[in-house]
Amino acid sequence: MFSIDTGSGFWNPILWVLVIIIAFLMMYILRSLGRKDYRKTTEQIKPFLSGNPELEKDKMHVRGSNLYWGFRESLKGFYNVLLKLHSGNTSDYILWFVVIMAIFFIIIGVI
Amino acid sequence: MTSIEYIIDHSPALIIAIPLLGAFLTPLVSRLGSRIRNVFVIIVAMLTAFLVFLLASDVFSDGIRTYIFGSQDLTTPVVRILFEVDGISIFMAIISVLLSLLAAIYSWSFMKKYDGLDKYYTLLLLMTAGMLGMELTGDMFNFFVFLEITSISSCALIAFWTHKGEAVEAGFKYIVVSAVGALFVLFAVALLYGQYNALNIATLANTIQYSFLDKIAFVLLITALGMKAGLVPMHMWLPDSYSQAPSSVTLILVGATQASLYGVFRMCFTLYGGVFADGILSSMTVGWFIVVLALVTILIGVTMAIIQTDFKRLIAYAAVAELGYMFLGIGVGLTAMGTSYGKTALDGGVFHILNDALDVGLLFLVAGSIYYATKERDLDRMGGLARNMRYTSMFFIIGLLAVAGMPPMNGFASKLLIYESTYQLSPILSIIAILSSILLLAVFVKVFHSVFMGPELPRFRDVQEVPRSMLLAMGIIALIIIVIGLIPGIVVENIVQPAANSLVNHLDYISHVISIGGV
Amino acid sequence: MSEIVLKTIVGTIVLALFGIIFGLLYKGIDRKLSAHMQARVGPPIRQPFRDVMKLFTKENVIPRHAIPWIFNLAPLAGLVATISILLYIPIGGFEPILSGSGDLILILYLLIVPSLAMVVGGFASGSPYATVGAQREMVTMIAYEFPLAIIIVSIAWKLNQLGNVDVFALSTITANPVWNTASGPLGIIGFAILLIVLVIVTPGELSKIPFDAPEAETEIAGGLLVEYSGRNLAMFYLTDGVKTVIMASLIVVLFFPYNLSNILGITGVYTTYALDLIFYLLKVFLVILFSVTLIRVGVARLKIDQIVYTYWIPLTLLSLVGLVFIMWDGFVTVP
Repeated sequence: MFSIDTGSGFWNPILWVLVIIIAFLMMYILRSLGRKDYRKTTEQIKPFLSGNPELEKDKMHVRGSNLYWGFRESLKGFYNVLLKLHSGNTSDYILWFVVIMAIFFIIIGVI
Repeated sequence: MTSIEYIIDHSPALIIAIPLLGAFLTPLVSRLGSRIRNVFVIIVAMLTAFLVFLLASDVFSDGIRTYIFGSQDLTTPVVRILFEVDGISIFMAIISVLLSLLAAIYSWSFMKKYDGLDKYYTLLLLMTAGMLGMELTGDMFNFFVFLEITSISSCALIAFWTHKGEAVEAGFKYIVVSAVGALFVLFAVALLYGQYNALNIATLANTIQYSFLDKIAFVLLITALGMKAGLVPMHMWLPDSYSQAPSSVTLILVGATQASLYGVFRMCFTLYGGVFADGILSSMTVGWFIVVLALVTILIGVTMAIIQTDFKRLIAYAAVAELGYMFLGIGVGLTAMGTSYGKTALDGGVFHILNDALDVGLLFLVAGSIYYATKERDLDRMGGLARNMRYTSMFFIIGLLAVAGMPPMNGFASKLLIYESTYQLSPILSIIAILSSILLLAVFVKVFHSVFMGPELPRFRDVQEVPRSMLLAMGIIALIIIVIGLIPGIVVENIVQPAANSLVNHLDYISHVISIGGV
Repeated sequence: MSEIVLKTIVGTIVLALFGIIFGLLYKGIDRKLSAHMQARVGPPIRQPFRDVMKLFTKENVIPRHAIPWIFNLAPLAGLVATISILLYIPIGGFEPILSGSGDLILILYLLIVPSLAMVVGGFASGSPYATVGAQREMVTMIAYEFPLAIIIVSIAWKLNQLGNVDVFALSTITANPVWNTASGPLGIIGFAILLIVLVIVTPGELSKIPFDAPEAETEIAGGLLVEYSGRNLAMFYLTDGVKTVIMASLIVVLFFPYNLSNILGITGVYTTYALDLIFYLLKVFLVILFSVTLIRVGVARLKIDQIVYTYWIPLTLLSLVGLVFIMWDGFVTVP
């Protein structure tokens, strides 16, 4: 009753949540065997920058558009084409509508 | 007949009439004060939601319910409008009314500092009435009328912040796209009326022969409603309008887009259901066309989302990708009509409509909260907000996990249904769907870092948590997401499967009108 | 109903201990073997246990720019989710403990969680090095999911073609070994290609060389774990060990689910259990040897855009070729 069966697989969330709760309790106990203290007011809490000086916070925060450089770099050709297509022109929007309608007409008419 | 039964009998009319009446009364009530007006709007929304749930409990247990505006004697050729509520209609209506109720609650604090709020609330209620009308009606021209009502009120709401040029531009683009779409729908309705002299969907479905003009009408309907629903490559209006509208409006816009998706369902499965069943048109051609477009939608949605820097634009592109999942479910359901995995794919697609409305809605509300607190929308200028806005960041984490389809949230349950049925049509469909799920996770983890993580920036030192009504709206959605995630079996059995069944059994829809003597 | 609950509770405790102990053990064996391959002596096999003990005695520093609740929660959440995967895999040739409640797609998604926990922990550290490492880990995840998804869907598709139901369930996959389902040479070649691709995906999942740009010690000073110390770092260390066992078990279950007791025809309850368990541990050891140790000592580290290119262009095309061979399997037979 609590699980879904798709004909090719199944999923029961309640048992999974039970496993998570028990594992969480176990690992929490394991974790509390370790030390929880640290010297809060010393040099320990400064970020590790391999000896480089720490600049003001605005410059130290890695901004959103710098993320996923590797992904964007390796798909550069694809993105050039894609961004050119998203031109922002309203007449382009209607152009795409007409193109899809034409393709659909051909499909329905011929097949 | 008890009073509850009497109310249920008349509820299709009341569900449209109450928001409409509320919309027209709102300018009058707002003369009495802004607080009274807000309470009035929320009461109207709650009343409508109550009626929808009442009707839903009746439709899910007893079957299709019809309501006739006009002459009750169906054999005389007098003009009348027929509302026919079956499983899928009431399913979409539940989603729409829930979204508008939550938008009303959220707007209490979010829009408090702006001017012209009486017009805002009027349009909000009008949009609700339009969406519900689109979903409950059984008449083609009525569907067009409600489509226009929804489009016009949404356009005004998108351009609400008229002091910003981009909002007005977004409203302009939206109304051009909507007008073109609605006019083509009207053209198709006219073609069908001219041939068969009937406007009722059930009557048309009964007497339709697949003539040349019918083919034209079919193409026009699917393409126009597909454009309004955001199918690639006609999706480009969606990021513009979703990002420039105020966040509570975006929440209802999600519902309006899904109402157009409902229109695609209705046309494909019910109006032309007999054509597919009799084999005059093979459902595989239309099905494969929709499947291919759905795959392109998913891929382009996620790849554009990864590189955006504007918060709401990014979520809008993710919403386009999620729409692709729903279209994938429909497409596979059409292509594989009659097989068990086609039915499972349809279940998954329909379930995903509910899950996506909630997940993407929660993310838009979080974006609105960030905008309310910091007046920023560019990801490159934010950072370190998890210290000050703890609840908002927790809601964002829940939304992130749900959109990416991680267990145990609701997104996982519906995506499981979609993966494990579409691979039987072609393995490539499942593969691209799984890949895009990971890409969506990457997109939102990027947003999570940009907005919430990092050192505390001096600019945001005084930022506070958002007011309670916004937290309440986000909390309700998060709660529903977690509950649906933990008991997916019950939801699928009692809510989703009746909806999907009513799509497949188009004969049931037709016979309900014919059996009460309709022509 | 209560029987399942009791089985779940006991199973979780037993499998958590199994996963941690054998994870650390295999890590130790891996370090010893790679040291010998590099003509060194290497640490003793129980070194990882000592490492964890020592980490527990270190201070747990929380940097100034971190978000404390996420910083502390992420390692714990990662380890807990990783342990929960163990209950869905047929360890040691036995039925999975929760065999009717989760399938291969669930395992695929739960495998994301440990890496996701490291990413979130890295982002929550508030240090630029950690941010760069975390986003590299995210990009690596995107990269290797494509071939992994192709492999899983191909196996399920082939089993579905032969008329099985519940093809994503691991009990069905272990009951129908993939080499038996191939009806001609094309199928066997297709499955062999998929096996090779899965062996190359495994170091990507586990962040080992050549795909460990996120934790590049020489470039970004430890990457996403740079600010972690003490018991939080111990949690991540344990997660890495358990995940190694899980990935290796997955390869064993998908491609080599044979039980020694069935082959040799041995009966008797405890003998079969013991024999199956030992054979299973041996198979896992061999998989770790080939997919982690050998590759780790043999090649250099790739750049992040090279990682995306490697997974998305050559490996994806290779696995698509494997899928096509499997789909055409019925049409080419040996005369």
